[in-house]
Amino acid sequence: MQPLANVTRLQPASRAGSIQIKNVGQVFKTSTQSVEALSDVSLDVKPGKFVVLVGPSGCGKSTLLMMLAGLRKQTSGTILINGAPIVAPDPDRIGVVFQEPSLFPWLTAEENVEFPLTLRGVDKAERRRKAQEALLLVGLDGFAKRHPHELSGGMKQRVSIARGLVQDPPVLLMDEPFAALDEQTRMTMGDELLRIWAATGKTVVFVTHSLTEAVYLADEVVVMSARPGRIVDHLTVTLPRPRTYEMLSGDAFGAMRDRIWRHIRKSA
Amino acid sequence: MTISSTTLRRMIVVSLILCWEILPRFHVIPELFLPSLSSTLLAGWTDAGEYGHALMVTLYEVAVSMVFACGGGIIAGAVVGSLPRPRVLIMPMVSSLYAVPLVILYPVFTVWLGIGSESKIAFASIYGFLPTMLATAAGIQTIDPQLLIAARSMGATLTQRVTRVIIPAAIPTVLSGLRVGGALVIVGVVVSEMLISSAGIGYLISRYRTILDSAHVFAGVLLVLVLAVAFNAIIRFVERRAAIWQTGTHAGADAAGGDAPAILPATA
Ligand SMILES: Nc1ncnc2c1ncn2[C@@H]1O[C@H](COP(=O)(O)OP(=O)(O)O)[C@@H](O)[C@H]1O
Ligand SMILES: [Mg+2]
Repeated sequence: MQPLANVTRLQPASRAGSIQIKNVGQVFKTSTQSVEALSDVSLDVKPGKFVVLVGPSGCGKSTLLMMLAGLRKQTSGTILINGAPIVAPDPDRIGVVFQEPSLFPWLTAEENVEFPLTLRGVDKAERRRKAQEALLLVGLDGFAKRHPHELSGGMKQRVSIARGLVQDPPVLLMDEPFAALDEQTRMTMGDELLRIWAATGKTVVFVTHSLTEAVYLADEVVVMSARPGRIVDHLTVTLPRPRTYEMLSGDAFGAMRDRIWRHIRKSA
Repeated sequence: MTISSTTLRRMIVVSLILCWEILPRFHVIPELFLPSLSSTLLAGWTDAGEYGHALMVTLYEVAVSMVFACGGGIIAGAVVGSLPRPRVLIMPMVSSLYAVPLVILYPVFTVWLGIGSESKIAFASIYGFLPTMLATAAGIQTIDPQLLIAARSMGATLTQRVTRVIIPAAIPTVLSGLRVGGALVIVGVVVSEMLISSAGIGYLISRYRTILDSAHVFAGVLLVLVLAVAFNAIIRFVERRAAIWQTGTHAGADAAGGDAPAILPATA
Protein backbone atom coordinates (compact mmCIF):
# COMPACT_ATOMS: atom_id res chain seq x y z
CA MET A 1 0.00 0.00 0.00
CA GLN A 2 1.26 3.46 -0.90
CA PRO A 3 1.75 6.16 1.70
CA LEU A 4 -1.00 8.72 1.46
CA ALA A 5 1.37 11.66 1.16
CA ASN A 6 2.26 10.43 -2.30
CA VAL A 7 -1.23 10.16 -3.57
CA THR A 8 -2.98 13.22 -2.22
CA ARG A 9 -1.31 15.35 -4.86
CA LEU A 10 -3.97 14.18 -7.29
CA GLN A 11 -6.67 16.00 -5.38
CA PRO A 12 -7.40 19.58 -6.44
CA ALA A 13 -8.22 22.20 -3.86
CA SER A 14 -11.82 22.59 -5.04
CA ARG A 15 -14.62 20.45 -3.65
CA ALA A 16 -16.37 20.09 -6.97
CA GLY A 17 -18.17 16.85 -7.62
CA SER A 18 -21.84 17.47 -6.97
CA ILE A 19 -24.41 15.59 -9.03
CA GLN A 20 -28.00 16.69 -9.50
CA ILE A 21 -30.40 14.43 -11.34
CA LYS A 22 -33.85 15.97 -11.82
CA ASN A 23 -36.88 14.06 -13.15
CA VAL A 24 -34.79 12.10 -15.60
CA GLY A 25 -36.47 9.60 -17.88
CA GLN A 26 -35.24 7.42 -20.72
CA VAL A 27 -37.33 5.80 -23.41
CA PHE A 28 -35.73 3.50 -25.95
CA LYS A 29 -37.50 3.54 -29.28
CA THR A 30 -37.04 0.68 -31.68
CA SER A 31 -38.87 0.26 -34.96
CA THR A 32 -41.57 -1.88 -33.39
CA GLN A 33 -41.93 -0.64 -29.82
CA SER A 34 -40.73 1.82 -27.25
CA VAL A 35 -39.34 0.74 -23.92
CA GLU A 36 -39.41 3.00 -20.89
CA ALA A 37 -36.15 2.18 -19.15
CA LEU A 38 -36.11 4.94 -16.55
CA SER A 39 -38.96 6.97 -15.20
CA ASP A 40 -38.77 10.19 -13.22
CA VAL A 41 -35.47 9.59 -11.47
CA SER A 42 -34.29 12.36 -9.15
CA LEU A 43 -31.18 12.17 -7.02
CA ASP A 44 -28.86 14.62 -5.34
CA VAL A 45 -25.31 13.55 -4.59
CA LYS A 46 -23.12 15.73 -2.39
CA PRO A 47 -19.47 16.17 -3.29
CA GLY A 48 -17.20 13.43 -2.00
CA LYS A 49 -19.96 10.90 -1.32
CA PHE A 50 -19.72 7.23 -2.18
CA VAL A 51 -23.11 6.32 -3.66
CA VAL A 52 -24.02 2.80 -4.68
CA LEU A 53 -26.83 1.98 -7.12
CA VAL A 54 -28.52 -1.40 -6.80
CA GLY A 55 -31.58 -2.87 -8.45
CA PRO A 56 -32.78 -5.85 -10.43
CA SER A 57 -31.08 -6.63 -13.70
CA GLY A 58 -32.37 -4.47 -16.54
CA CYS A 59 -33.73 -1.72 -14.29
CA GLY A 60 -31.66 0.95 -16.00
CA LYS A 61 -28.56 1.33 -13.80
CA SER A 62 -26.17 1.24 -16.73
CA THR A 63 -28.44 3.55 -18.69
CA LEU A 64 -28.38 6.07 -15.86
CA LEU A 65 -24.59 5.91 -15.67
CA MET A 66 -24.33 6.32 -19.44
CA MET A 67 -26.36 9.49 -19.17
CA LEU A 68 -24.25 10.78 -16.30
CA ALA A 69 -21.17 10.11 -18.43
CA GLY A 70 -22.57 12.05 -21.36
CA LEU A 71 -22.60 8.91 -23.49
CA ARG A 72 -26.36 8.93 -23.94
CA LYS A 73 -28.94 11.69 -23.88
CA GLN A 74 -31.85 11.44 -21.48
CA THR A 75 -35.32 11.59 -23.00
CA SER A 76 -36.50 13.98 -20.31
CA GLY A 77 -35.18 15.80 -17.24
CA THR A 78 -31.86 17.42 -16.45
CA ILE A 79 -28.50 16.27 -15.17
CA LEU A 80 -26.03 18.70 -13.63
CA ILE A 81 -22.49 17.85 -12.63
CA ASN A 82 -20.52 20.52 -10.79
CA GLY A 83 -23.66 22.59 -11.34
CA ALA A 84 -23.39 22.49 -15.15
CA PRO A 85 -25.40 20.34 -17.56
CA ILE A 86 -23.73 17.37 -19.12
CA VAL A 87 -24.17 17.22 -22.89
CA ALA A 88 -21.14 15.21 -24.02
CA PRO A 89 -18.43 13.09 -22.40
CA ASP A 90 -16.23 15.38 -20.33
CA PRO A 91 -13.22 13.59 -18.84
CA ASP A 92 -12.32 16.72 -16.90
CA ARG A 93 -15.47 16.31 -14.84
CA ILE A 94 -16.24 12.61 -15.10
CA GLY A 95 -14.14 9.46 -15.20
CA VAL A 96 -15.82 6.21 -16.20
CA VAL A 97 -14.86 2.64 -15.29
CA PHE A 98 -16.78 -0.14 -17.06
CA GLN A 99 -17.45 -3.73 -16.11
CA GLU A 100 -15.02 -4.90 -18.74
CA PRO A 101 -11.68 -3.14 -18.27
CA SER A 102 -11.93 -2.02 -21.94
CA LEU A 103 -8.20 -1.51 -22.24
CA PHE A 104 -6.62 -1.10 -25.66
CA PRO A 105 -4.67 -4.34 -26.13
CA TRP A 106 -2.04 -2.75 -28.37
CA LEU A 107 -1.03 -0.21 -25.71
CA THR A 108 0.95 -0.77 -22.51
CA ALA A 109 -0.66 -0.18 -19.13
CA GLU A 110 0.99 3.22 -19.00
CA GLU A 111 -0.10 4.19 -22.52
CA ASN A 112 -3.63 3.06 -21.72
CA VAL A 113 -3.69 5.34 -18.70
CA GLU A 114 -2.24 8.16 -20.79
CA PHE A 115 -4.89 7.70 -23.48
CA PRO A 116 -7.31 10.44 -22.37
CA LEU A 117 -4.38 12.85 -22.09
CA THR A 118 -3.06 11.83 -25.51
CA LEU A 119 -6.46 12.64 -26.99
CA ARG A 120 -6.15 16.18 -25.71
CA GLY A 121 -2.61 16.66 -26.95
CA VAL A 122 -0.94 16.83 -23.53
CA ASP A 123 2.82 16.67 -24.03
CA LYS A 124 4.64 13.42 -23.47
CA ALA A 125 6.52 14.24 -20.26
CA GLU A 126 3.41 15.55 -18.58
CA ARG A 127 1.45 12.50 -19.73
CA ARG A 128 4.06 10.13 -18.35
CA ARG A 129 4.13 11.92 -15.02
CA LYS A 130 0.37 11.84 -14.58
CA ALA A 131 0.10 8.23 -15.69
CA GLN A 132 2.82 7.27 -13.21
CA GLU A 133 0.94 9.01 -10.43
CA ALA A 134 -2.31 7.30 -11.32
CA LEU A 135 -0.64 3.89 -11.56
CA LEU A 136 1.00 4.48 -8.21
CA LEU A 137 -2.37 5.31 -6.76
CA VAL A 138 -3.83 1.96 -7.84
CA GLY A 139 -0.68 0.11 -6.75
CA LEU A 140 0.54 -0.82 -10.22
CA ASP A 141 3.61 1.38 -10.58
CA GLY A 142 5.78 -1.67 -11.32
CA PHE A 143 3.65 -2.76 -14.26
CA ALA A 144 3.68 0.32 -16.47
CA LYS A 145 5.29 -1.40 -19.46
CA ARG A 146 3.07 -4.49 -19.48
CA HIS A 147 0.42 -5.03 -22.08
CA PRO A 148 -3.13 -5.90 -20.94
CA HIS A 149 -2.78 -9.59 -21.85
CA GLU A 150 0.12 -9.79 -19.40
CA LEU A 151 -2.03 -8.58 -16.51
CA SER A 152 -4.55 -10.44 -14.33
CA GLY A 153 -8.22 -9.49 -14.35
CA GLY A 154 -7.86 -7.48 -11.15
CA MET A 155 -4.79 -5.65 -12.45
CA LYS A 156 -6.54 -4.79 -15.69
CA GLN A 157 -9.42 -3.30 -13.76
CA ARG A 158 -6.93 -1.27 -11.71
CA VAL A 159 -5.41 0.10 -14.92
CA SER A 160 -8.91 0.99 -15.99
CA ILE A 161 -9.48 2.81 -12.69
CA ALA A 162 -6.17 4.62 -13.09
CA ARG A 163 -7.28 5.70 -16.56
CA GLY A 164 -10.52 7.02 -15.08
CA LEU A 165 -8.55 8.96 -12.48
CA VAL A 166 -5.73 10.32 -14.63
CA GLN A 167 -7.40 13.63 -15.44
CA ASP A 168 -8.37 13.92 -11.81
CA PRO A 169 -12.11 14.31 -12.44
CA PRO A 170 -14.18 15.13 -9.36
CA VAL A 171 -16.70 12.40 -10.25
CA LEU A 172 -15.95 8.74 -10.87
CA LEU A 173 -18.66 6.50 -12.36
CA MET A 174 -18.22 2.76 -12.00
CA ASP A 175 -20.57 0.26 -13.66
CA GLU A 176 -20.17 -3.12 -11.96
CA PRO A 177 -16.39 -2.77 -12.13
CA PHE A 178 -15.68 -5.88 -10.08
CA ALA A 179 -18.42 -8.15 -11.46
CA ALA A 180 -16.03 -10.20 -13.57
CA LEU A 181 -13.55 -10.76 -10.73
CA ASP A 182 -13.37 -13.68 -8.31
CA GLU A 183 -14.59 -13.06 -4.78
CA GLN A 184 -11.20 -12.67 -3.11
CA THR A 185 -9.94 -10.21 -5.71
CA ARG A 186 -13.23 -8.44 -5.42
CA MET A 187 -12.86 -7.96 -1.66
CA THR A 188 -9.34 -6.57 -1.94
CA MET A 189 -10.34 -4.35 -4.84
CA GLY A 190 -13.17 -2.97 -2.72
CA ASP A 191 -10.73 -2.05 0.04
CA GLU A 192 -8.34 -0.56 -2.50
CA LEU A 193 -11.11 1.52 -3.97
CA LEU A 194 -12.11 2.83 -0.55
CA ARG A 195 -8.49 3.76 0.09
CA ILE A 196 -8.25 5.64 -3.22
CA TRP A 197 -11.59 7.31 -2.58
CA ALA A 198 -10.48 8.41 0.90
CA ALA A 199 -7.20 9.71 -0.51
CA THR A 200 -8.73 11.66 -3.37
CA GLY A 201 -12.09 12.72 -1.97
CA LYS A 202 -13.92 12.06 -5.22
CA THR A 203 -17.62 11.57 -5.65
CA VAL A 204 -18.17 7.95 -6.64
CA VAL A 205 -21.29 6.48 -8.21
CA PHE A 206 -20.91 2.73 -8.14
CA VAL A 207 -23.24 0.08 -9.59
CA THR A 208 -23.21 -3.45 -8.23
CA HIS A 209 -25.52 -6.42 -7.95
CA SER A 210 -23.84 -7.56 -4.73
CA LEU A 211 -25.78 -6.26 -1.73
CA THR A 212 -22.86 -7.00 0.59
CA GLU A 213 -20.55 -4.97 -1.61
CA ALA A 214 -23.13 -2.19 -1.71
CA VAL A 215 -23.40 -1.82 2.06
CA TYR A 216 -19.68 -2.38 2.61
CA LEU A 217 -18.63 0.43 0.25
CA ALA A 218 -21.39 2.99 0.41
CA ASP A 219 -22.20 6.21 2.23
CA GLU A 220 -25.60 5.97 0.59
CA VAL A 221 -27.34 3.12 -1.19
CA VAL A 222 -29.91 3.97 -3.86
CA VAL A 223 -32.32 1.12 -4.61
CA MET A 224 -34.09 1.01 -7.97
CA SER A 225 -37.17 -0.92 -9.05
CA ALA A 226 -37.61 -3.12 -12.10
CA ARG A 227 -38.48 -1.54 -15.43
CA PRO A 228 -39.27 1.25 -15.72
CA GLY A 229 -36.52 2.00 -13.24
CA ARG A 230 -37.45 4.33 -10.40
CA ILE A 231 -35.80 5.04 -7.09
CA VAL A 232 -37.66 3.10 -4.43
CA ASP A 233 -35.33 3.59 -1.49
CA HIS A 234 -32.40 5.76 -0.55
CA LEU A 235 -30.65 4.76 2.66
CA THR A 236 -27.65 6.13 4.48
CA VAL A 237 -25.12 3.59 5.68
CA THR A 238 -24.23 4.56 9.22
CA LEU A 239 -21.32 2.16 9.68
CA PRO A 240 -18.12 3.97 10.66
CA ARG A 241 -15.09 4.19 8.38
CA PRO A 242 -12.71 2.63 7.70
CA ARG A 243 -14.95 -0.32 6.98
CA THR A 244 -13.63 -3.65 8.19
CA TYR A 245 -14.28 -7.25 7.34
CA GLU A 246 -15.73 -7.84 10.83
CA MET A 247 -18.59 -5.43 10.12
CA LEU A 248 -19.93 -7.82 7.50
CA SER A 249 -21.26 -10.13 10.22
CA GLY A 250 -22.65 -7.36 12.45
CA ASP A 251 -26.37 -6.78 13.08
CA ALA A 252 -26.40 -3.28 11.60
CA PHE A 253 -24.88 -4.59 8.39
CA GLY A 254 -27.38 -7.43 8.14
CA ALA A 255 -30.33 -5.14 8.79
CA MET A 256 -29.35 -2.82 5.96
CA ARG A 257 -28.76 -5.64 3.55
CA ASP A 258 -32.15 -7.14 4.41
CA ARG A 259 -33.89 -3.86 3.84
CA ILE A 260 -32.38 -3.54 0.38
CA TRP A 261 -33.15 -7.14 -0.46
CA ARG A 262 -36.83 -6.74 0.48
CA HIS A 263 -37.16 -3.88 -2.02
CA ILE A 264 -35.50 -5.79 -4.78
CA ARG A 265 -37.52 -8.94 -4.17
CA LYS A 266 -40.72 -6.93 -4.18
CA SER A 267 -40.01 -5.26 -7.50
CA ALA A 268 -38.38 -8.09 -9.39
CA MET B 1 18.29 -34.90 -28.75
CA THR B 2 15.24 -32.99 -29.87
CA ILE B 3 15.12 -31.08 -33.12
CA SER B 4 13.41 -27.71 -33.18
CA SER B 5 10.72 -27.26 -35.79
CA THR B 6 12.79 -24.56 -37.49
CA THR B 7 15.70 -26.94 -37.93
CA LEU B 8 13.32 -29.61 -39.14
CA ARG B 9 11.81 -27.22 -41.65
CA ARG B 10 15.23 -26.30 -43.00
CA MET B 11 16.16 -29.96 -43.26
CA ILE B 12 13.02 -30.68 -45.28
CA VAL B 13 13.74 -27.80 -47.67
CA VAL B 14 17.36 -28.89 -48.12
CA SER B 15 16.41 -32.50 -48.77
CA LEU B 16 13.77 -31.42 -51.30
CA ILE B 17 16.41 -29.37 -53.12
CA LEU B 18 18.77 -32.34 -53.04
CA CYS B 19 16.06 -34.62 -54.43
CA TRP B 20 15.41 -32.10 -57.20
CA GLU B 21 19.05 -32.37 -58.18
CA ILE B 22 19.69 -36.08 -57.62
CA LEU B 23 16.52 -37.81 -58.84
CA PRO B 24 16.62 -36.47 -62.44
CA ARG B 25 20.41 -36.79 -62.55
CA PHE B 26 20.23 -40.53 -61.94
CA HIS B 27 17.25 -40.85 -64.29
CA VAL B 28 14.85 -41.84 -61.52
CA ILE B 29 12.65 -39.14 -63.03
CA PRO B 30 12.96 -38.34 -66.77
CA GLU B 31 14.45 -34.90 -67.43
CA LEU B 32 11.41 -34.03 -69.52
CA PHE B 33 9.16 -34.27 -66.42
CA LEU B 34 11.59 -32.74 -63.99
CA PRO B 35 14.89 -31.28 -65.17
CA SER B 36 17.54 -31.26 -62.46
CA LEU B 37 18.06 -28.12 -60.43
CA SER B 38 21.42 -27.45 -62.06
CA SER B 39 20.08 -27.67 -65.63
CA THR B 40 17.14 -25.46 -64.59
CA LEU B 41 19.51 -22.86 -63.18
CA LEU B 42 21.73 -23.15 -66.23
CA ALA B 43 18.78 -22.57 -68.57
CA GLY B 44 17.82 -19.53 -66.56
CA TRP B 45 21.37 -18.26 -66.56
CA THR B 46 21.97 -18.60 -70.30
CA ASP B 47 18.76 -16.69 -71.02
CA ALA B 48 19.09 -14.33 -68.07
CA GLY B 49 18.23 -11.32 -70.22
CA GLU B 50 14.97 -12.80 -71.37
CA TYR B 51 14.00 -13.86 -67.84
CA GLY B 52 15.07 -10.52 -66.40
CA HIS B 53 12.83 -8.69 -68.85
CA ALA B 54 9.94 -11.04 -68.14
CA LEU B 55 10.45 -10.60 -64.41
CA MET B 56 10.29 -6.81 -64.76
CA VAL B 57 7.00 -7.08 -66.65
CA THR B 58 5.54 -9.44 -64.08
CA LEU B 59 6.79 -7.38 -61.14
CA TYR B 60 5.30 -4.25 -62.65
CA GLU B 61 1.93 -5.95 -63.09
CA VAL B 62 2.06 -7.42 -59.58
CA ALA B 63 2.98 -4.08 -58.02
CA VAL B 64 0.21 -2.12 -59.73
CA SER B 65 -2.38 -4.83 -59.05
CA MET B 66 -1.24 -4.95 -55.43
CA VAL B 67 -1.96 -1.24 -55.05
CA PHE B 68 -5.43 -1.58 -56.56
CA ALA B 69 -6.31 -4.83 -54.79
CA CYS B 70 -4.97 -3.99 -51.35
CA GLY B 71 -5.64 -0.26 -51.34
CA GLY B 72 -9.08 -0.65 -52.86
CA GLY B 73 -9.84 -3.68 -50.72
CA ILE B 74 -8.95 -1.89 -47.50
CA ILE B 75 -10.94 1.23 -48.37
CA ALA B 76 -13.97 -0.69 -49.59
CA GLY B 77 -13.77 -3.08 -46.63
CA ALA B 78 -13.58 -0.18 -44.19
CA VAL B 79 -16.67 1.45 -45.67
CA VAL B 80 -18.64 -1.76 -45.88
CA GLY B 81 -17.54 -2.87 -42.42
CA SER B 82 -18.45 0.33 -40.64
CA LEU B 83 -21.73 1.27 -42.30
CA PRO B 84 -24.59 -1.16 -41.80
CA ARG B 85 -26.53 -0.40 -45.00
CA PRO B 86 -23.79 -1.12 -47.53
CA ARG B 87 -22.92 -4.15 -45.45
CA VAL B 88 -26.39 -5.63 -45.76
CA LEU B 89 -26.51 -4.83 -49.47
CA ILE B 90 -23.01 -5.74 -50.57
CA MET B 91 -21.59 -8.43 -48.30
CA PRO B 92 -23.75 -11.36 -49.47
CA MET B 93 -22.96 -10.42 -53.07
CA VAL B 94 -19.24 -10.20 -52.45
CA SER B 95 -19.18 -13.46 -50.51
CA SER B 96 -20.85 -15.41 -53.29
CA LEU B 97 -18.71 -13.69 -55.92
CA TYR B 98 -15.73 -14.98 -53.97
CA ALA B 99 -16.76 -18.54 -54.78
CA VAL B 100 -16.93 -17.90 -58.56
CA PRO B 101 -13.76 -18.89 -60.45
CA LEU B 102 -13.06 -15.36 -61.63
CA VAL B 103 -10.59 -16.60 -64.19
CA ILE B 104 -13.56 -17.16 -66.54
CA LEU B 105 -13.71 -13.38 -66.81
CA TYR B 106 -10.13 -13.05 -68.05
CA PRO B 107 -10.84 -13.62 -71.75
CA VAL B 108 -13.42 -10.83 -71.51
CA PHE B 109 -10.78 -8.50 -70.06
CA THR B 110 -8.44 -9.22 -72.97
CA VAL B 111 -11.24 -8.26 -75.34
CA TRP B 112 -11.77 -5.00 -73.49
CA LEU B 113 -8.19 -4.13 -72.61
CA GLY B 114 -6.00 -6.02 -75.06
CA ILE B 115 -3.39 -8.67 -74.28
CA GLY B 116 -0.91 -6.25 -72.68
CA SER B 117 -0.38 -5.55 -69.00
CA GLU B 118 -3.73 -3.77 -68.56
CA SER B 119 -5.84 -6.91 -68.78
CA LYS B 120 -3.54 -8.73 -66.31
CA ILE B 121 -3.69 -5.84 -63.88
CA ALA B 122 -7.45 -5.66 -64.13
CA PHE B 123 -7.86 -9.36 -63.55
CA ALA B 124 -5.31 -9.70 -60.73
CA SER B 125 -6.64 -6.59 -58.99
CA ILE B 126 -10.16 -7.95 -58.83
CA TYR B 127 -8.84 -11.35 -57.86
CA GLY B 128 -6.89 -9.99 -54.88
CA PHE B 129 -9.43 -7.30 -54.02
CA LEU B 130 -12.13 -9.62 -52.71
CA PRO B 131 -10.30 -11.35 -49.85
CA THR B 132 -8.69 -8.08 -48.75
CA MET B 133 -12.04 -6.37 -48.67
CA LEU B 134 -13.76 -9.24 -46.85
CA ALA B 135 -10.98 -9.41 -44.23
CA THR B 136 -11.00 -5.66 -43.65
CA ALA B 137 -14.77 -5.57 -43.31
CA ALA B 138 -14.64 -8.48 -40.88
CA GLY B 139 -11.79 -6.85 -38.97
CA ILE B 140 -13.77 -3.69 -38.47
CA GLN B 141 -16.99 -5.46 -37.56
CA THR B 142 -15.31 -7.55 -34.89
CA ILE B 143 -13.88 -4.57 -33.02
CA ASP B 144 -15.05 -4.72 -29.41
CA PRO B 145 -17.74 -1.99 -29.28
CA GLN B 146 -16.89 -1.49 -25.63
CA LEU B 147 -13.52 -0.06 -26.70
CA LEU B 148 -15.29 2.59 -28.75
CA ILE B 149 -17.61 3.46 -25.88
CA ALA B 150 -14.60 3.75 -23.55
CA ALA B 151 -12.83 6.01 -26.05
CA ARG B 152 -15.91 8.18 -26.28
CA SER B 153 -16.13 8.43 -22.50
CA MET B 154 -12.59 9.82 -22.58
CA GLY B 155 -13.65 12.49 -25.02
CA ALA B 156 -12.37 10.98 -28.29
CA THR B 157 -13.62 12.73 -31.41
CA LEU B 158 -14.79 10.71 -34.41
CA THR B 159 -11.43 11.13 -36.13
CA GLN B 160 -9.60 10.05 -32.99
CA ARG B 161 -11.81 7.01 -32.68
CA VAL B 162 -10.91 6.02 -36.24
CA THR B 163 -7.17 6.64 -35.99
CA ARG B 164 -6.58 5.55 -32.41
CA VAL B 165 -9.07 2.71 -31.95
CA ILE B 166 -10.52 1.35 -35.17
CA ILE B 167 -7.35 1.27 -37.26
CA PRO B 168 -5.05 -0.32 -34.66
CA ALA B 169 -7.76 -2.78 -33.65
CA ALA B 170 -8.36 -3.83 -37.26
CA ILE B 171 -4.71 -4.24 -38.23
CA PRO B 172 -4.26 -7.97 -37.47
CA THR B 173 -7.29 -9.01 -39.51
CA VAL B 174 -6.38 -6.64 -42.34
CA LEU B 175 -2.86 -8.08 -42.47
CA SER B 176 -4.16 -11.61 -42.76
CA GLY B 177 -6.43 -10.40 -45.56
CA LEU B 178 -3.43 -8.78 -47.29
CA ARG B 179 -1.56 -12.06 -47.06
CA VAL B 180 -4.30 -13.88 -48.95
CA GLY B 181 -5.09 -10.97 -51.27
CA GLY B 182 -1.43 -10.42 -52.16
CA ALA B 183 -0.87 -14.09 -52.87
CA LEU B 184 -3.91 -14.11 -55.14
CA VAL B 185 -2.57 -11.06 -56.99
CA ILE B 186 0.58 -13.02 -57.84
CA VAL B 187 -1.49 -16.01 -58.89
CA GLY B 188 -3.76 -13.77 -60.97
CA VAL B 189 -0.88 -12.11 -62.83
CA VAL B 190 0.98 -15.32 -63.58
CA VAL B 191 -2.10 -17.29 -64.60
CA SER B 192 -3.33 -14.55 -66.92
CA GLU B 193 0.11 -14.30 -68.47
CA MET B 194 0.01 -18.02 -69.09
CA LEU B 195 -3.40 -17.86 -70.73
CA ILE B 196 -3.25 -15.01 -73.22
CA SER B 197 -0.28 -12.66 -73.40
CA SER B 198 2.98 -11.68 -75.03
CA ALA B 199 5.24 -10.97 -72.05
CA GLY B 200 5.99 -11.86 -68.43
CA ILE B 201 7.10 -14.97 -66.60
CA GLY B 202 3.81 -16.76 -67.08
CA TYR B 203 4.11 -16.15 -70.81
CA LEU B 204 7.66 -17.60 -70.86
CA ILE B 205 6.53 -20.67 -68.94
CA SER B 206 3.71 -21.46 -71.31
CA ARG B 207 5.78 -20.67 -74.44
CA TYR B 208 8.62 -22.99 -73.40
CA ARG B 209 6.07 -25.63 -72.45
CA THR B 210 4.74 -25.72 -76.01
CA ILE B 211 8.23 -26.50 -77.31
CA LEU B 212 8.79 -29.05 -74.50
CA ASP B 213 11.82 -27.23 -73.11
CA SER B 214 11.42 -28.37 -69.50
CA ALA B 215 14.54 -26.70 -68.16
CA HIS B 216 13.31 -23.29 -69.31
CA VAL B 217 9.80 -24.00 -68.01
CA PHE B 218 11.15 -24.82 -64.59
CA ALA B 219 13.42 -21.78 -64.59
CA GLY B 220 10.23 -19.73 -64.88
CA VAL B 221 8.49 -21.76 -62.21
CA LEU B 222 11.45 -21.19 -59.90
CA LEU B 223 11.20 -17.43 -60.45
CA VAL B 224 7.51 -17.42 -59.53
CA LEU B 225 8.35 -19.46 -56.45
CA VAL B 226 10.98 -16.92 -55.43
CA LEU B 227 8.47 -14.12 -55.99
CA ALA B 228 5.87 -15.79 -53.76
CA VAL B 229 8.40 -16.55 -51.03
CA ALA B 230 9.70 -12.97 -51.12
CA PHE B 231 6.16 -11.62 -50.80
CA ASN B 232 5.51 -13.89 -47.87
CA ALA B 233 8.71 -12.72 -46.19
CA ILE B 234 7.65 -9.09 -46.55
CA ILE B 235 4.23 -9.78 -45.02
CA ARG B 236 5.86 -11.71 -42.18
CA PHE B 237 8.18 -8.81 -41.52
CA VAL B 238 5.25 -6.40 -41.33
CA GLU B 239 3.34 -8.80 -39.09
CA ARG B 240 6.26 -9.07 -36.70
CA ARG B 241 6.47 -5.30 -36.64
CA ALA B 242 2.83 -5.24 -35.64
CA ALA B 243 3.19 -8.29 -33.38
CA ILE B 244 1.77 -6.48 -30.40
CA TRP B 245 -1.42 -5.89 -32.32
CA GLN B 246 -1.93 -9.59 -32.69
CA THR B 247 -2.98 -9.67 -29.04
CA GLY B 248 -5.80 -7.38 -30.04
CA THR B 249 -7.80 -10.36 -31.22
CA HIS B 250 -8.06 -11.55 -27.63
CA ALA B 251 -9.57 -8.31 -26.44
CA GLY B 252 -12.47 -8.73 -24.10
CA ALA B 253 -12.37 -12.51 -24.37
CA ASP B 254 -12.22 -12.84 -20.59
CA ALA B 255 -15.11 -10.52 -19.92
CA ALA B 256 -18.02 -12.19 -18.20
CA GLY B 257 -21.40 -11.74 -19.79
CA GLY B 258 -23.11 -9.17 -17.61
CA ASP B 259 -26.49 -7.60 -18.07
CA ALA B 260 -25.14 -4.53 -19.83
CA PRO B 261 -26.37 -4.27 -23.41
CA ALA B 262 -23.58 -5.15 -25.80
CA ILE B 263 -24.00 -2.16 -28.07
CA LEU B 264 -25.34 1.21 -27.13
CA PRO B 265 -25.91 3.22 -30.27
CA ALA B 266 -24.09 6.53 -30.29
CA THR B 267 -26.28 9.43 -29.38
CA ALA B 268 -24.00 11.96 -27.73
N1 LIG C 1 -29.71 0.69 -26.67
C1 LIG C 1 -30.83 0.18 -26.16
N2 LIG C 1 -31.91 -0.04 -26.95
C2 LIG C 1 -33.04 -0.56 -26.44
N3 LIG C 1 -33.19 -0.92 -25.16
C3 LIG C 1 -32.16 -0.75 -24.33
C4 LIG C 1 -30.91 -0.20 -24.78
N4 LIG C 1 -30.05 -0.14 -23.73
C5 LIG C 1 -30.74 -0.64 -22.69
N5 LIG C 1 -31.99 -0.99 -23.04
C6 LIG C 1 -33.01 -1.54 -22.14
O1 LIG C 1 -33.13 -0.68 -21.04
C7 LIG C 1 -33.27 -1.40 -19.85
C8 LIG C 1 -32.21 -0.98 -18.84
O2 LIG C 1 -30.95 -1.50 -19.26
P1 LIG C 1 -29.64 -1.29 -18.40
O3 LIG C 1 -29.47 0.14 -18.12
O4 LIG C 1 -28.53 -1.99 -19.08
O5 LIG C 1 -30.02 -2.07 -17.05
P2 LIG C 1 -29.07 -2.52 -15.86
O6 LIG C 1 -27.73 -1.97 -16.06
O7 LIG C 1 -29.76 -1.99 -14.64
O8 LIG C 1 -29.10 -4.01 -15.83
C9 LIG C 1 -33.20 -2.86 -20.21
O9 LIG C 1 -34.49 -3.37 -20.24
C10 LIG C 1 -32.59 -2.88 -21.58
O10 LIG C 1 -33.09 -3.94 -22.32
MG1 LIG D 1 -25.80 -2.85 -16.29
